[in-house]
Amino acid sequence: MANLLWLQGGACSGNTMSFLNAEEPSACDLVTDFGINILWQPSLGLELGENVKTILKKCISGEIKLDIFVFEGTVVNAPNGTGEWNRFCGRPMKEWVKELSEAADFVVAIGDCATYGGIPAMAPNPSESVGLQFLKRAKGGSLGTNFKAKSGLPVINIPGCPAHPDWVTQILVAVATGRAGDLTLDEFHRPKTFFSSFTQTGCTRNMHFAYKVSTTAFGQRKGCLFYDLGCRGPMTHSPCNRILWNRHSSKTRAGMPCLGCTEPEFPFFDLNPGTVFKTQTMMGVPKDMPTGVDKVGYIKLTAAAKGMAPKWAEEDIFVV
Amino acid sequence: MTALSSVETLDISPVGRVEGDLDVRVDIQDGVVTNAWTHAELFRGFEVILKDKDPQAGLVVTPRACGICGASHLTCAAWALDTAWGTTVPRNAILARNLGQIVESLQSLPRHHYGLFMIDYTNANYAASPFYEEAVKRYSPFTGTSYEAGVTISGRPVEIYALLGGQWPHSSFMVPGGVMCAPTLTDVTRAWAILEHFRQNWIEPLWLGCSMERYEEIQTLEQFEAWLDESPKHANSDLGLFWRMSKEIGLQHYGKGHGKFVTWGYLPHEDKYNKPTIESRSSAVIMKAGTYDGASDSFGPMEHIFTREDMTHAWYDEGTGGVHPFDRTTKPIAKNTIDTNGKYSWGTAVRHSESGALEAGPLARRLIAGNTTGQAFQHSDGLVLDMYRKMGGASIMLRHFARMHELCILYREAERILREFRLNDEWYIKPTERDGKGWGATEAIRGALCHWIEVKNGKIANYQIIAPTTWNVGPRSADGQRGPIEEALIGTPIKNKHDPVEVGHVCRSYDSCLVCTVHAHDGDTGEELARFRTA
Repeated sequence: MANLLWLQGGACSGNTMSFLNAEEPSACDLVTDFGINILWQPSLGLELGENVKTILKKCISGEIKLDIFVFEGTVVNAPNGTGEWNRFCGRPMKEWVKELSEAADFVVAIGDCATYGGIPAMAPNPSESVGLQFLKRAKGGSLGTNFKAKSGLPVINIPGCPAHPDWVTQILVAVATGRAGDLTLDEFHRPKTFFSSFTQTGCTRNMHFAYKVSTTAFGQRKGCLFYDLGCRGPMTHSPCNRILWNRHSSKTRAGMPCLGCTEPEFPFFDLNPGTVFKTQTMMGVPKDMPTGVDKVGYIKLTAAAKGMAPKWAEEDIFVV
Repeated sequence: MTALSSVETLDISPVGRVEGDLDVRVDIQDGVVTNAWTHAELFRGFEVILKDKDPQAGLVVTPRACGICGASHLTCAAWALDTAWGTTVPRNAILARNLGQIVESLQSLPRHHYGLFMIDYTNANYAASPFYEEAVKRYSPFTGTSYEAGVTISGRPVEIYALLGGQWPHSSFMVPGGVMCAPTLTDVTRAWAILEHFRQNWIEPLWLGCSMERYEEIQTLEQFEAWLDESPKHANSDLGLFWRMSKEIGLQHYGKGHGKFVTWGYLPHEDKYNKPTIESRSSAVIMKAGTYDGASDSFGPMEHIFTREDMTHAWYDEGTGGVHPFDRTTKPIAKNTIDTNGKYSWGTAVRHSESGALEAGPLARRLIAGNTTGQAFQHSDGLVLDMYRKMGGASIMLRHFARMHELCILYREAERILREFRLNDEWYIKPTERDGKGWGATEAIRGALCHWIEVKNGKIANYQIIAPTTWNVGPRSADGQRGPIEEALIGTPIKNKHDPVEVGHVCRSYDSCLVCTVHAHDGDTGEELARFRTA
């Protein structure tokens, strides 16, 4: 059995909602089949008021063993670094987060807000939000660069806006079933089992990418979304096209450009004018290259590919 | 006064204007709530974040204002830009947007019912009820038989959203000029299969205990009661148990509110809103817009121009008069201390310029659906209005029933959309970006939602959101009129002051999109009694 506590800071509940879509295992399976004891969860918990506070205090004192502390949402520091704009059970949430993180065997940050700051931390960041151990690419966040939970691991980051439910439940099961030793994390504390490959890996538009055939406007069934519509699939680490969403699809399959939401910079370019759903180019060449590709190589490759593109690639084929 | 200040120091949960936590203070005297204040306590500043950004930034940001009804935000964001840019939206795109909106609502029905609402029926407060044992068996969190079935199956309808937009929550597949997707035959057939699974595995066996067709015959309160008595399967279904236990524990007797209601209407007809304008919207929606006044039993029109936000009791420095959202400046004040005589919430008091405070939500929609006037293509359904007239107006029980009653109606509209898609026609017509003002509205499952946008010099000059929760949990207005939930709390009986589940029932019946903390406050001693969350 593993005790799990889940709290929300500057959150939209999107990760809780996503979590409830989990199927293998489902949220209820975690409890009934995997012995995860959910001490409390903001949208689902039965306990009220003082009883919640009691649970938190017992977790901090060690009277209740806190195996897994899950945090969703940003850590709010406004106004002026006090955190008073996000108080919970009588004090700033950031203080609960610090003490609970120190008491827990594992700390899991779910979603972009808890990992990197996400949308609330977008300029001008009115709530002075940060993630647990990062703000965008910068290390530190709320808990500091050197933080390690009792297990010896830093915060396990499961990014995404929202995180895929299976990324969440499978990590929880790994921890609960004693497989935590097999978890390896990348430089942004993401489990490599999910975040080594790219969003493009497994995308149904890969042949169009190869021949540089573009989806020139929305509502088309052909082409790749990278060249014109701002898709970040080739430079974003996620398994979105390996572990499909809601059992069926992914944004790129359905025709929506990847926004790069598992990377620390999301939302890219702060959504400044001219940057939304448009590939940013310089002299006709994308400013952001597919990971590992250099500009000269890209120009040669795409010129050749374009010339080679077969006729079928320009037709309305079912890429979905 | 000591008592009041001690509560103030505890009114402290994270709250956003459109999502987050809410604090409620209630005064209790002789076992009954005598006064109430709602405090929304976090300003996340989405309007501030959106200023000076790309005109389309709202398509990315606003679904993430609320992870629970993101499709509704996306719908508003898209239609707001459509009206600002003067786009043409193909019929397929209107249908696809409507379907996205509908399946999100279908998801929310079992998830809210089991995950959030029915848990309270297992409260020890009702241990003496003859239905209590059964309620505990079915509705206990995570392990209840219906809880597990209902929460798990709630993920299925949004699989259809993933077919259209790639994922739920937080897709941005609706864009000015149409949608990003171009579904194919397999998407349509998979969507049919998902709907059918939802019906065969939850709606009919668990929720209704009968076929949808049998339930859809019900037109009046008497016919509903006859349906309950017709078969033990009906009486013992989750709907049957909800109805019988709610009556037995008295949930038809309180949570009344102002008795005035509003809906923007929603689901524009696929052939009637292809040239979207702010002015032509109300005559193009399948689910009618309007207001309903219970006291005079009369209907009225509803347009965005009637909307006012009153910041008298809200933490903004924007005067004391009612302001239309286009004229708002969103100036938060730095020090958000609670003063129940002065400013005490980040929520603004949303008012109708003539009718004052209005309740938004499924009950409002269902009452206005009872208006039999309107165009032939517009939906009408008189059951909830009939119940309202015969059961003494609004209540916790009727408000929640109205929400769940939309299940079959939305399901049928989803089926119709799947028949109406023309797979070889267009899904998107590329618009020309331009400056202008726009307005997009819809009905999230929990009520009236709309966005206003002003685009100037190719970027967002002003973005304003009024969510259903803004209508319902807002504070008092300049004239002292309480917000809808504040009003609905008056008269609530409290059996156990240390666990006032009845206050939670009232808040939860509004299905507020905030995760709320409710403070019960003893009117005599000022002692803070308990705090708990609704959602």
